[in-house]
Amino acid sequence: MKRLLKWVAGVLAVLLLASFGVLCYMAGSPRDAYGMVRYALPHMHRGTLKVGSDAPDVRLLGIDGTNHFHLRERWGARPLVLVFGSFT
Amino acid sequence: MGDIVQIYNDYKDHADFLTVYVREAHPTDEWQMKSNVKDDVCYAQPKTLEQRVAIAKDFTARYKFPLPFGVDDMSNAADSAYAAWPERLYIIDETGHIAYRGGMGPFNYKPAEVRDWLAAKYGALKHEEPATSATPMAAASPTTGSATAPSTMNSPSTARSPK
Repeated sequence: MKRLLKWVAGVLAVLLLASFGVLCYMAGSPRDAYGMVRYALPHMHRGTLKVGSDAPDVRLLGIDGTNHFHLRERWGARPLVLVFGSFT
Repeated sequence: MGDIVQIYNDYKDHADFLTVYVREAHPTDEWQMKSNVKDDVCYAQPKTLEQRVAIAKDFTARYKFPLPFGVDDMSNAADSAYAAWPERLYIIDETGHIAYRGGMGPFNYKPAEVRDWLAAKYGALKHEEPATSATPMAAASPTTGSATAPSTMNSPSTARSPK
């Protein structure tokens, strides 16, 4: 029984190391692998929107830093292309 | 983001565009990329809306970014509603429905799909002279051949043929 447990633990350790290695390769470095797991994964989500869904309205601040507007004010007459992103 | 600017220049007479600035993808106090250091795009994750607006202004000023702009609030409401982080593209049709939903960036961020959608509706348009010197928004390329989102986290791109 102990021998079986040792084998299971060994296999799990190897799988864990292999997974970490793959993650490091995908991310570019161990530091990036950590950054991905620590900071990126918690913010990545699929959401529930699909083609045909009602577009959610949200309140946004203008680049002037003063005036707010609602997203729904920007659609209606023509299609609206939305580009989400950040500087970094 | 350069592709988006070109699409904007080509189709701004037919469609509206809006950039929604969301939380930083690679701030200095989180997962900073070497490319950000190289490009001198080094900002901590904003703690206030004023700080977020200030970074957005730096971005628009540096690249003379021509698209209309809106900034997500500090509760990240737009990000949450549209699963937007780190970057994503949508098209909302005239009736307020999602007509196109792009995949999660950077690897499934595909401006060409937006262009295809617009081209199917308005015809293929291509202006020769770009009206701006805008270059890619850093979030659109947070890698220098490195970071990869796990494939299980990538959303599939879906497109509906425009009416």
